[in-house]
Amino acid sequence: MSDRTITVVGFVAIIAVLAALEFLARRKIGRIPTLGEWLGFVMRRPAGRAVILAGWLWLGWHYFAR
Amino acid sequence: MTAGNVSTDEAAPKRAAANDHHPVPLSGGDARGQLPAGARPARNAIIGAAVIGYAWLLGGASPFSTRALVEVLVPGAVLGVIAYARPPDRIQVPESVDTAGFSYWIIAIALLFEWEASAVRDNRPWHPSLTDLINPLIAPHPIKTAAVVVWLLSGWALVRR
Repeated sequence: MSDRTITVVGFVAIIAVLAALEFLARRKIGRIPTLGEWLGFVMRRPAGRAVILAGWLWLGWHYFAR
Repeated sequence: MTAGNVSTDEAAPKRAAANDHHPVPLSGGDARGQLPAGARPARNAIIGAAVIGYAWLLGGASPFSTRALVEVLVPGAVLGVIAYARPPDRIQVPESVDTAGFSYWIIAIALLFEWEASAVRDNRPWHPSLTDLINPLIAPHPIKTAAVVVWLLSGWALVRR
C-alpha cells in the first residue's frame, strides 16, 4: 500500500465514522445527536450562528472560488 | 358620498370588511404567507431552476477570478441576512444535546482537521490534502454545479435552524 493510499484511506475512514455517527443518531442508538440537532443547538446563540455560517461560506470560497 | 353621510346600516358591511382585512404578504398568498396549494409546485420549480441556474454560473467561473468570488459572496450575504432576520419556516432545534454524544462528533471532526492539517504541513505529493483529492473530482462543470447546489441547499438548511 503506497503512502498516498494510506492518506486516502485515512480520509475515507474518518468520513465513514462521521456517516456512522449520523446513522446511529438517526436510529436513536445511544444518545448521539444528529448533525442537524447539534448544529441547531450551536446556532441557538448568535456567536455560534456566525461561526457555523462563516464555516459554510469558507467552504464555498475554498472549493468554488479558488 | 362621504363617510359622514353613510347611514348606520350601510356602513356596517364596510366596517366588517375592514375588520376582516388581513395584510397580503409581498410574496403573494394569504395573510399567513401560505400560497394556494396549486401555486406551491410552480414556486418550488422556479426556485429550483434559479438555484440550479446560479450553481451552473458559479460552476463555470474560473478559479481565483473576481467573478467566482462575487458569486460565492452573494448567496453568503443573502443567507446571512435571512439567518439574522430569522426565516418563518424554522426547523425546531433541541434545547440541549447530550454532552457525551456530542463529544463523539467533536472527536471525529478534530481527527478530520488533524489529518487535513498534517497533509497541509507535510505538503508532500504522497500525503495529499482533502482539497487536493476533491478538486479534481469536482472539476467537470456538471459535477461542480451539483456540488454548488449541495452547498447552497446546506446553507439554506443552516439558516432555517
